[in-house]
Amino acid sequence: MSNNYFNTLPLREQLEQLAKCRFMHMNEFTEGVEALKGKKMVIIGCGAQGLNQGLNLRDSGLDVSYTLRQSAITEKRQSFKNASENGFTVGTYEELIPSADIVLNLTPDKQHSPVVAAVMPLMKQGACLSYSHGFNIVEEGMKVREDLTVIMVAPKCPGSEVRAEYVRGFGVPTLIAVHEDNDPQGHGLALAKAYAVGTGGHKAGVLMSSFIAEVKSDLMGEQTILCGMLQTGSLLCFDKMIEKGMDAGYASKLIQYGWETITEALKYGGVTNMLDRLSNPAKIKAFDLSEELKVIMRPLYNKHQDDIINGTFSATMMADWANDDVNLLGWRAATGETAFEKTPAGDMEISEQEYFDHGILMVAMVKAGVELAFETMTAAGIIADSAYYESLHETPLIANTIARKKLYEMNATISDTAEYGCYLYNHACLPLLADFMKGMDTDVIGRGLASDDNGVDNARLIEVNAALRDHPVEAIGATLRGHMADMKKIV
Amino acid sequence: MLQLHDLSVEFDEGFQLKHINWQIQQHQHWLITGANGAGKSALAAVLAGYGEILAGSTSRLPTTIGWVSFEAQAQLIQAELKKDDADILDVISLGTCVREIIFTNETDPVIAGELIQKFELEYLLERAFRKLSTGETRKVMLIKALSCHADLLILDEPFDGLDQASHTMLQNHLTHVVKHTPVVMVLNRFDEIPDFISHIAYMEDGQLRHQVNREDTQAFNELYQLLHLKTTHLQVPDSDTDNTRPALNPKEPLVKLSNICIKHTDMVLIENLNWCIQPNQHWQLSGPNGSGKTAILSLITGDHPQCYTNDIFVFGFQRGNGESIWQIKQHIGYVSTALQWEYRVGTSLANVIISGFYDSIGLYSKSTDQQKHIANQWLELLGMQGRGDQPFNKLSYGDQRLLLIARAMVKHPPLLILDEPCLGLDDINRQLVLALIEKVCAAKETSVIYVNHHAQDRIAGIDHYLALEKSADNA
Repeated sequence: MSNNYFNTLPLREQLEQLAKCRFMHMNEFTEGVEALKGKKMVIIGCGAQGLNQGLNLRDSGLDVSYTLRQSAITEKRQSFKNASENGFTVGTYEELIPSADIVLNLTPDKQHSPVVAAVMPLMKQGACLSYSHGFNIVEEGMKVREDLTVIMVAPKCPGSEVRAEYVRGFGVPTLIAVHEDNDPQGHGLALAKAYAVGTGGHKAGVLMSSFIAEVKSDLMGEQTILCGMLQTGSLLCFDKMIEKGMDAGYASKLIQYGWETITEALKYGGVTNMLDRLSNPAKIKAFDLSEELKVIMRPLYNKHQDDIINGTFSATMMADWANDDVNLLGWRAATGETAFEKTPAGDMEISEQEYFDHGILMVAMVKAGVELAFETMTAAGIIADSAYYESLHETPLIANTIARKKLYEMNATISDTAEYGCYLYNHACLPLLADFMKGMDTDVIGRGLASDDNGVDNARLIEVNAALRDHPVEAIGATLRGHMADMKKIV
Repeated sequence: MLQLHDLSVEFDEGFQLKHINWQIQQHQHWLITGANGAGKSALAAVLAGYGEILAGSTSRLPTTIGWVSFEAQAQLIQAELKKDDADILDVISLGTCVREIIFTNETDPVIAGELIQKFELEYLLERAFRKLSTGETRKVMLIKALSCHADLLILDEPFDGLDQASHTMLQNHLTHVVKHTPVVMVLNRFDEIPDFISHIAYMEDGQLRHQVNREDTQAFNELYQLLHLKTTHLQVPDSDTDNTRPALNPKEPLVKLSNICIKHTDMVLIENLNWCIQPNQHWQLSGPNGSGKTAILSLITGDHPQCYTNDIFVFGFQRGNGESIWQIKQHIGYVSTALQWEYRVGTSLANVIISGFYDSIGLYSKSTDQQKHIANQWLELLGMQGRGDQPFNKLSYGDQRLLLIARAMVKHPPLLILDEPCLGLDDINRQLVLALIEKVCAAKETSVIYVNHHAQDRIAGIDHYLALEKSADNA
């Protein structure tokens, strides 16, 4: 049975690890991929992250091959095809792990324990084991052999985007960390940096973090604002529009593409810009709704963060894993049966601005979710930079997934930890917002405010604008987007 | 109104206008434009009744014409010289004076008097016409043409040789004239085009290639660019002298593909292909859809994953030995329709061109002043000067393609790959693109691989051919 690593640490170290996060300067990457040149990199797993990171690393001049379980090779499973059709050497653990200088574990979290247990004895003395998520180390308490270096390189984007941005000559923001208990040669950071360069991440910005900060913030972000809030909001908003007699095709389209459109504004200019896209009366309305939502949902966000910090969340999830995912799969099937999921988007035109004007409640939900997640994370000791990436920064990515695939496929695409967290959140949040939703009408979702009067009270507007701009997620957001802008300003 | 129907006309020098179909409706004012020798002035002369009709017909040609052109000017001067020759007396003929030249039976003396004042020609009235300067004779021609109550005014490069004041005066005067008289103007330079011009006729090789209504802004802009490319002495802009691209060994081939096989799960796309590209060779690659043209090119550019499983030597690297794709791409300029699809970034025209220095889609590095300067040179070359800050994604498809071609050429790459560069382009833009490519081929710095289906898009300078066949597995 697993032993939560975080919970074994004294409070002093817990706090220190949680607060680890530093935006690295471009000139820290002048060595390029040198530390990995000529080293044998073996990737375990060839899903979206595994394949796309491998393609990038190889195109950066590194020696990459894939190792899969014997059964995946014999049965020519998709992972085998992914690797071999792209011209990579594919072999079993026994064939490739012993000669590997660095083993990249890019399998789903759920498989980490058995996979690491299987490869560790095969790894050569002094080699490096790399993760792209710290769950196995932090939540499952995996103990890695003392001679091995353990690092994490986590691109903060889906695998397809990791590849697409690299091909464009850019990269995606990436988080790196060294597991301090496993850095016997003191070169963990050099390897992690070279790896980030190999995937192109250094061009988009690299955060130096810790395994613990990564896990505790990543879990929080994905299950609350990213997946949980968007899923819950989709279902509630759709049902409200249908209840009020609106066209189902329109309602479906407004939601499916609405999240993406409004969070695009979020990506460029934070919550402030997202709200600025609304008319003054609509902005005040969205602000008021979000304040109300924050009061109602704050206990839920606190509970999620508490459960993540103290390990309750991972223990619950691992229990479901052990129980053949009964809870999760049942819920996933139910998602597929919801009215929103079953109603195809209509073919009417919805202009970019209309998504804002008719989606005031959706804007309010995104604002409330982003701010709550950020506030809760920072209150738990996670540093603002990290909290920003795990909340605001990633929301447009999930919104984009919903636009392409709606909810069922979104859940199937995201990581298993994210989906389980989304399930918990959705279960709790739907009833939590039931009363609130009774008061909602099509002026805030579906039709927009009546446009005959755009007048607002000056004092109130000034107050709202100030409150928006003063929120701490906006300050750190402006700084971090500014770092990106150093390289991207001209774009 | 005036109509030329499938008209072919021959002129003294053997120059022919071919198959001209043209109508000038009432209240239209046309500009005839085109490169030198395209037949602009000849078309104007046809309206004045010149040339020997070989085929086709005209109807309702004007009876009274006010015609200003070098040809008309030359005729008048020739006639004056003849008079001199004809003088058998042993006295020096002064020739006809300006007053006599201007005031003939056709001339409206009131209008002529006004214009003489406006052009400030009073002091020349008694002088011999043939003693005048070029600019002065031009003014005399203009006065004659504008005061004869013409049915049609043909103004062939009317502003040539005029000083700025006269130029402005003439433009102002014309704005009144066009209210009652149709004008056909011949101009080499678009930037002199007066506001009243409503239609543009574009001539090339004695043919009327394009007719554009000025209100069609997009067609107008494209025509502008085409004319710009055709009439400017095209010079490929400078290279970036600060670039860090390593020099290639001139004795080695640029590309050597040996026994290439490209396989997918259940089919073989390419088998046992060998291809060697030496410096300064220009190649045309052709083959039916699905024959693997793009796949082969992406082996060269490093975009195909199977470039690591094949025997590929490019720019001094045997692939798969620790080189990065950026070390390969720095030697290649690349354009394809797929690139245009992928190039959906909200960036400016100038930055799209500069991104060619970095082989990136979008610009993620700080550009140097020199790079910005070169980008401006390219914009000027494409007839887009001053538009560097405009957003790329708001451009027409053809303009985007032109910019991507500039992006591909901006670093003066040893190898330029043009994968169906004209696909989806209209006629004007296709000619633009081809003109640009020919310039590059002629410059001898770059080897070109040109992929296309259209035989008529053959490019001067290409002398090597590789034709692919559809593999049996793939049929």
